[in-house]
Amino acid sequence: MKLEFLAPQTLQDAVTMAKARGDAARFIAGGTDLVIQARKSGTWPEAVINLQQIPDLGEIKGSGQNFSLGSLVTHRQIEREGRFAGALEALRESACVIGGHQVRNVATVGGNLCNASPAADMVPILLCLNAEVALAGSEGRRVVPLASFIEGPRKTKRAHDEVMTEIAFSAPAQKFASAFLKGGRRRAMEISIVAMAGVVSVSRDGKLTDVRLAMGAAGPKAIRLTEVEKFLEGKALSKDVLEETGRLAAAAASPIDDVRASASFRRHLAGVYARRVVELSWNRISEVGNDRSAA
Amino acid sequence: MTEVQLDLTVNGRRHRLSVPAHYSLLDVLRDELELTGTKTNCLEAECGVCTVVLDGKSVASCAVLAAQCQGREVTTVEGLAEGAALHPLQEAFVEFGAVQCGYCIPGMIMTAKAFLDENPRPTREAVREAIAGTLCRCTGYQKIVDAIMAASQRLSQQGERA
Repeated sequence: MKLEFLAPQTLQDAVTMAKARGDAARFIAGGTDLVIQARKSGTWPEAVINLQQIPDLGEIKGSGQNFSLGSLVTHRQIEREGRFAGALEALRESACVIGGHQVRNVATVGGNLCNASPAADMVPILLCLNAEVALAGSEGRRVVPLASFIEGPRKTKRAHDEVMTEIAFSAPAQKFASAFLKGGRRRAMEISIVAMAGVVSVSRDGKLTDVRLAMGAAGPKAIRLTEVEKFLEGKALSKDVLEETGRLAAAAASPIDDVRASASFRRHLAGVYARRVVELSWNRISEVGNDRSAA
Repeated sequence: MTEVQLDLTVNGRRHRLSVPAHYSLLDVLRDELELTGTKTNCLEAECGVCTVVLDGKSVASCAVLAAQCQGREVTTVEGLAEGAALHPLQEAFVEFGAVQCGYCIPGMIMTAKAFLDENPRPTREAVREAIAGTLCRCTGYQKIVDAIMAASQRLSQQGERA
């Protein structure tokens, strides 16, 4: 084993180092995925390029509607972020179920996205918020929608010399609420067997509008449930509507059998969590203080 | 083997070390500094046994590369007592018998230390949530939570007197 540890002080240096070393080098942020995977497999990259000393990657910026998360923002920062209390609560709910505090204090949102586990808990809510990720590489800077950035299990559009720098999103313009729920065999320290995030708004006549639902861990990558979203548009919430929501969500799942759950149980849970997330976000609408139309 | 030159402060003492680049913080604490109070167990950041406090925050030392701790400050369970005087958390764990085999206790105490530093007067529920990443597989959590609650009271009383 001959691991080289590189500690660039600028983004440009990080990119140059990665380009020079090709696939043999990997970027490291919090390290909680990389270190554990490397030790378990006994295969370390030839070099790791530490991103932690690069300035400006660790901040949450924005207010009102537009926000950006630096790629090195930790789950700890997100779960404690006051600007996400209320309407954007699902961001905090997603961040606070990842590992224990010991992991969340270190693990980064950029790492969660670039590692591209189908069960990555930050992905569903960021899909609901139509997040876009910024990548900086030797060919320049580009912005990619998160929905297309993640291509499949552990597979993304990121080139080996590209650093994810930020994740940007806009909250809905009208009053909205959000929710995130995760199913696992325990309530802590668990890899999701289904994860569900939702963002809903309610029109002046009391109907659901601009509903966004995304599901993780129930297919090769997290996806928006567009069929369910279309179905819910303009509907008032009722028992029948919730039942159909569950049925459509279960139908959209393409889960696998694995050590954590069977495919059929995952499909069942997808339906249950879709219903609960829609109901929970609907109930939260009256509690959130983001009604700009009333201002 | 490529080595990194590491400048690390542990329990208030500054160390300058040369360690292999793949060493975790846990490897450095146990193998280089012989601070074996921090235990090794799952090596997957799942069990919390290797928890130490890094710049004021609890971390799983098995999952943190030592090289990423350049210039930073670490507190381990060895750094809590002042001479012969145990830290209130340690006292409370002894007093409440919050220990069976004891293997998780250094991690449990360091998890609680970082938590109480941020939340001096927590509820029991908050304590349970705080230790969710630190697993005990023999004595159960009741006495551990009792001990952390008692320590929080003593620490706040000390704080008020100071």
